Amino acid sequence: MKRALKSLFLAGTMLAVSFGSAAAQAKVSVAAISGYFAQGFGVSIVNGLNKAKTDFGIDLKLVDTGNRALDYQQQFENLAKGKQYDLIFVMGWELVDSLQKVSAEYPDQRFVFIDGVLDNPKMIYANFAEEQGSFVAGALAGMIEAKGTAFDKIGDGKAIGFVGGRDIPVIRNFLGGYEQGAKYAAPDVKVNSVFAGTFDDPAKGSELAQALYGQGSDIVYNVAGPTGEGVMQASAAVDKYSIGVDIDMCGSAPGNVLASMLKRGDIAVYTLIKDEVEGRKITAGTRTFDLASGGVEVKVCDDIAPKIPADVTAKLDEIKKGILDGKIVIAKAK
Amino acid sequence: MMKDQLRAVSGQIIAIGVALLMGAIIILMVGESPVRVFMTLLRGAFGDQEKIAGTLLQTTPILICGVAACIGLRGGMFNVGIEGQLFLGGFAAAWVGFAMPLPAGIHTLAALALAVVAGAAWVAIPAYFRARYNTNEVVSTILSNYVAVLLTSYFTIFLFKRPGGWSETPPILPTSYLPEIFTFSRLNWGLVIGLMLAVGAALVFRYTKWGYSVTMVGSAPKFAEYGGVNVKRQGFMVLLLSGAVGGLAGGVETLGVHHRFMEGFAPGFGFDGLIAALLANGSPVATIFTALFFGALRNGSLLLEVDTSASREIITVIQALIILSVSAQVLVRKRGDSRAGERRWKF
Repeated sequence: MKRALKSLFLAGTMLAVSFGSAAAQAKVSVAAISGYFAQGFGVSIVNGLNKAKTDFGIDLKLVDTGNRALDYQQQFENLAKGKQYDLIFVMGWELVDSLQKVSAEYPDQRFVFIDGVLDNPKMIYANFAEEQGSFVAGALAGMIEAKGTAFDKIGDGKAIGFVGGRDIPVIRNFLGGYEQGAKYAAPDVKVNSVFAGTFDDPAKGSELAQALYGQGSDIVYNVAGPTGEGVMQASAAVDKYSIGVDIDMCGSAPGNVLASMLKRGDIAVYTLIKDEVEGRKITAGTRTFDLASGGVEVKVCDDIAPKIPADVTAKLDEIKKGILDGKIVIAKAK
Repeated sequence: MMKDQLRAVSGQIIAIGVALLMGAIIILMVGESPVRVFMTLLRGAFGDQEKIAGTLLQTTPILICGVAACIGLRGGMFNVGIEGQLFLGGFAAAWVGFAMPLPAGIHTLAALALAVVAGAAWVAIPAYFRARYNTNEVVSTILSNYVAVLLTSYFTIFLFKRPGGWSETPPILPTSYLPEIFTFSRLNWGLVIGLMLAVGAALVFRYTKWGYSVTMVGSAPKFAEYGGVNVKRQGFMVLLLSGAVGGLAGGVETLGVHHRFMEGFAPGFGFDGLIAALLANGSPVATIFTALFFGALRNGSLLLEVDTSASREIITVIQALIILSVSAQVLVRKRGDSRAGERRWKF
């Protein structure tokens, strides 16, 4: 009797265990790997992942790559080998080489590359229409600059600036949108652009921005990661304006940050996971997050917003509408 | 002699044991099970043939840098600039790899040769100042690291950048690849080069006149000078040789694994190598084992992060604890029974 009870109990436990694992299998499991989860855009992605975890109860694994190139491939293999992750989000161009190799090795593993498109048709790409957001930022900067001395802290109204991190395609795309936006809304304002050659040197960012301010650019758009932090600081030092990127940077130099061009990594990853959880399985190809889907947006800082003249705000709304319904076509940098 | 060696080895093992124990306490404090963490480390390092190959892959640069450090330590020179020599060697090898079409085999050798020359040339500056003006080589080699890393960044970003990509040079030609040993891993012949270097260095130190004089200069410079050794000249040569091996480490990484030079591609290997050499008491053969230990820790830590909730950085903590307990051990030992070798690295 005792024995029979025992075996019954055992069978029961086994049943429960197998049910448990079946439930776990239905659960969406997501990993994300990058070396940038602690800063800027990476933080935004982590926020989106955590929100998805709270809302949908997904399994989430975050992996920090560190900065040794030798490690990357092994890290990808460790993630892919167990086949336990439905989606693996990847962010960072330095990981591309290892990613391509491991993706070829594990063809069934779905990788989502964030913020760029590679020449591999088997992967999923979460791309941002940064040229659209930059177009709006350029239009805003151009129109404010064109106000000249009528606007607080603006000089002769002739030029705006741009500090890029490295001279790579993504950053070129930002610059292209910015230039086109400025040209569209304020044809007389010139755009001066420089590249720092690095994403990790705030001192250099500050130096370059100060040079641009010195040459008469009163508003400088920072697209340079941590290097750009120096641009924000420089705008406070010379009491001119800067425009932040990726995340809300209004707090970096209150009073001197005009706006931030947000790339909503959180919206991108959240949307993708939502689709997956709700049964719309994500397949290979490019998903672009643009003005329409809220993937990119220009947020004017709260302390600046009341100062923006009504005609500028009206024109900006008109531009956004024009981009949404396709009347304004923005060329992408290649 | 044998007893001394046994004592040195057991000392190091106790030091590692103490470090692991302290690591376990820290793991407990972050709310993970130390047993689970150490088991995952083991599985990540030696779980299957690919993992073992991965561990050996991680071991290779640490081993070669370790041999470079050993050469310096033997001769009484503290080469802390291996990191910089590795970067320059890596870049030099990549440059031969992508810019100079040569027949297979010869191409690899030429690239490795230039890596060696680059590493030696880079250390020649601090070595010259050491020999000429008795400048402390610790300070000058440490500082030269920063210059080397930034110099290679400059080369990569401004002079030789592959158009449109990340900050890296064009890929090297397949003729210059250091071949892989197995099909299932990136492990390459660099490991064999490292092993041969370690054994070769040990043989030179033990059986040649030059090796003996190097050891003598390292342990008793006054005595060596009295015996007719040109101490300054010898110190210069020792640093040069150490730098050459450091450059080779970079070449092996570039030709064997990455097949191009990437800006900031391999931070910390120079220092890992130095630690491995110190832990091995300056013995090249013992460095094989300490390098393997660090390689296993690193490779295991990559799985650790995926399979447990502990951070990979726990390994950095354990490494630091090992350094602390090893240096504590040196201090604890009585000066009287300190073998000649150990006083070399008090400066």
